[in-house]
Amino acid sequence: MLEHMNPNSPDPPVLQGIALSKSFGSTHALDAVDLAVRAGESVAVMGPSGSGKSTLLHCLANIERPDSGQVLLDGERIDQLREPHRSELRRVRFGFVFQFGQLLPELPAVENVALPLMLGGMPRREAERHAREWFAPLGLDGKEDSRPGELSGGQAQRVALARALVAGAQVVFADEPTGALDRTTGQDMIAMLVKVTKAQNAALVVVTHDESVARWCDRTVRVRDGRIVGEEPATRIPAAGTGVRR
Amino acid sequence: MRTLNRTTWTLTWRLLRGGGRHGSLAVGLSVAASALCTTLLFLCVGANLGFAARAAHTDWRTPAKTDPAHAVAVQAVATTFINGEPVTVIDIAALPSNPTKQTKPPAPPPGMPRFPRPGEVWTSPALGKLPGSTTTTGTLGRAALARPGEKVAVVGYRANDPTMTTKRGTDPRRPGDIVTPTPVADFTGTRTTDGIASQYQALAKLATVLVIIPLLVLGASSARLSVSRRDTRLALLRLLGAAPRRIAGMAAAEAALTSAAGAAAGAVGYAALLPLASKVPVAGGSWYVSDLWVGTPVLLAVLAGVVLMVTISALAGLRQVVVGPLGVVRRSRAARLNAVRALLFVAVLVGYWQLSAGRPMDIDAVVYCCAAVFAALSVIGPWAVGTLGALLTTLARRPTTLLAGRRLLDDPKSVWRAVSGLTLAGFVAGFFALFSIAGGTPWSSPDQLSLSVPKAQVAAVRQQFGVRLKQAHIKATVGTTTTWVATGTGTGDERQITATIANPRQLDRARTALTGLAPGQFPITGTDIDWQSRRFDHDFHLSTLAVLGASFTVAIASTGITAASSVLDRRRTYGLLHLAGTPLRVLDTARRTESVLPGTVLTTGALLTGLFCAAPLTFAGGTPHVDGPGVALLAACLTLGFVGLAGASAASRPLLREVVRGAGPRPD
Repeated sequence: MLEHMNPNSPDPPVLQGIALSKSFGSTHALDAVDLAVRAGESVAVMGPSGSGKSTLLHCLANIERPDSGQVLLDGERIDQLREPHRSELRRVRFGFVFQFGQLLPELPAVENVALPLMLGGMPRREAERHAREWFAPLGLDGKEDSRPGELSGGQAQRVALARALVAGAQVVFADEPTGALDRTTGQDMIAMLVKVTKAQNAALVVVTHDESVARWCDRTVRVRDGRIVGEEPATRIPAAGTGVRR
Repeated sequence: MRTLNRTTWTLTWRLLRGGGRHGSLAVGLSVAASALCTTLLFLCVGANLGFAARAAHTDWRTPAKTDPAHAVAVQAVATTFINGEPVTVIDIAALPSNPTKQTKPPAPPPGMPRFPRPGEVWTSPALGKLPGSTTTTGTLGRAALARPGEKVAVVGYRANDPTMTTKRGTDPRRPGDIVTPTPVADFTGTRTTDGIASQYQALAKLATVLVIIPLLVLGASSARLSVSRRDTRLALLRLLGAAPRRIAGMAAAEAALTSAAGAAAGAVGYAALLPLASKVPVAGGSWYVSDLWVGTPVLLAVLAGVVLMVTISALAGLRQVVVGPLGVVRRSRAARLNAVRALLFVAVLVGYWQLSAGRPMDIDAVVYCCAAVFAALSVIGPWAVGTLGALLTTLARRPTTLLAGRRLLDDPKSVWRAVSGLTLAGFVAGFFALFSIAGGTPWSSPDQLSLSVPKAQVAAVRQQFGVRLKQAHIKATVGTTTTWVATGTGTGDERQITATIANPRQLDRARTALTGLAPGQFPITGTDIDWQSRRFDHDFHLSTLAVLGASFTVAIASTGITAASSVLDRRRTYGLLHLAGTPLRVLDTARRTESVLPGTVLTTGALLTGLFCAAPLTFAGGTPHVDGPGVALLAACLTLGFVGLAGASAASRPLLREVVRGAGPRPD
């Protein structure tokens, strides 16, 4: 049943989806999908449009409740939590990087990064201090007070990455994180994403269309018509020149 | 215009229709804002035209004196009272035509098919319906009347009747109530400038200024609804190579289409509301619907004006897109607003104080000054929002406060648009609440009727008082006084004969019994004297409520529409933040703080400004006094305003919930 786990790793999965099914009307977006991810592991989810890969990500991230099946985080079931607890879980234990637009345009970059910490109750000054620590390692030195509109696409994505990780996320979900970037910037971004999450011992789930993005991950699962139809370890590309200094 | 060619219209129409459900909702909000603005504009214009029409219909009662050789009639006016309501009595004596002149017969008085013959009494429908009006000869037509319920009588006399030959002194306490017999060549009359009709016209003008500016703000705001969605879309077209003129043309076409739809809906709303509006009792009673109808030319002018205003506002907001699309697409840092705005505001207030302090201002000057202060509020508003945002951002400890502060700081003009209606309504509340024109009246004795007669006739008339009242079985105490109540010939050599009626319910019967003792004069009580100021004061307070009601309605509608539009504009960011675990409560609180907080601060400031501007007018006549009901009204307005603001902001919470929910996955 749990065939889509890395058989070579002795660690228990940090996040596990078991027999996940989800329908929208008459469309079956997911059909009994199993997927498990371990701490520090990166998994690319690939598939054509409408294959159900984003739905899988949203069910694993507790954004959508599956119609059937279970989602376990550290062995505990999370798919039955009520909405306030689901929000808290997403904020505290998960991190998200989307294609674009997740930064609040009126907040400077540092406040965008500090926001999850403040939402968790950390005093503003302390939250901003913690947030600033992420800028230099991600190559964003000097961009702390810039607005999202003043950043390049790659810089904005790195700010989003910092925000995803600043609160100590166990799992980072990235939905087409390079979709709005040019190829070179996209490669830098995915390299940094993989490296930084690994450095944090966080699991990474990346939804992408792009084979060159998937190759950065430890393994790739392929989704079609709501089912996982294949899995292979990626051909790792050396992470040189990504600018990650952390 | 080459930019507004078929391609532009087609493309605009397709983009408008293709906006999806949220796009349609945003367009719907724009249309609703234009419609509300147009309806209220029509009602404002209609009220002004209505008062003018009423005044025009009473012009004929103020005779224009002519050379007796050219006169066709002698006309006089007196006023009596039934149940405390004034009854205008127009005495007319037709003069014999000159047989040497072959002219066509003179036109009869307005609302009458012919001249009244001696002894005839023609009454308005409302007067004719009263008990005891069976002797009425005929009913006056609409042309003779200001309003449907008005009580008017036209009485025919011979030219040599004492009623038409005895001089009548005018009474400055009640202008227009008494007119001495005057030879007239026709019944066109003259426009009075000191009568109650003029006061109402001035009041309508002032009320219109106070309502119309928030309305214009709402109208202009409608063009800015969902502005970021539209700007982004147009900026992308610009990036794709569309010429700036094409972009401007599309923005103009979109604004023109939505505002034209809204203006048309508003016109329909106005037409539908007209019968209801005509029932509103102002200046003595309800209206003729035709008086409140603005007429086709004004209708078209207002429609064109609304479309033009919204289109210009849309084009003004589009400058960024046309000048530099990247600036809009990527939302670079907004320019900070200059503190010169605050200095300008202070300068206007100082100028107002200099103009108004210690000297009486006519109503036109008050209107212009109010307009200037309104404009000054609109100048300082965005600056105040930005300053509040800076303060809030610096002091913020919680994420909601930080988000709200940054939003205020980032786009103060947009936030100002959301709260400007309420702010201007706050000014109106402050201006009107303590602005009481009722200074108390020295006149009283509602049970004592008086007639003014020459000294020589005092004894004879006093005896007649007793006889007539006895014949009518009315218990009364007859006396004389020197206190000026009734106005006789105006010569000054007169005395007042009084009858204090024991049973107030017999007052009108006593009036009837005593009528005719002094030619052209009706007995009146002390309270009858200031009926005009009492009525105006009553209507002034009603108008205050109406203006405040309209202002707050517009303001709350404006706030609600802008809040909903803001949610639609930022739906992607809200959705993604929620997906990333930001509680909906935090997003909602921040969103509400960014409108409720500046709304509260600016409305309070505007209210104080209103009090400041009303102070010279309120205290111009004498000792400053605190108007208890005014303070209560102020408190009620503030409470309702803030509850409305909070409610309008909260009303878009379901929309926020929906857009957040809509950020989840859907089948491709």
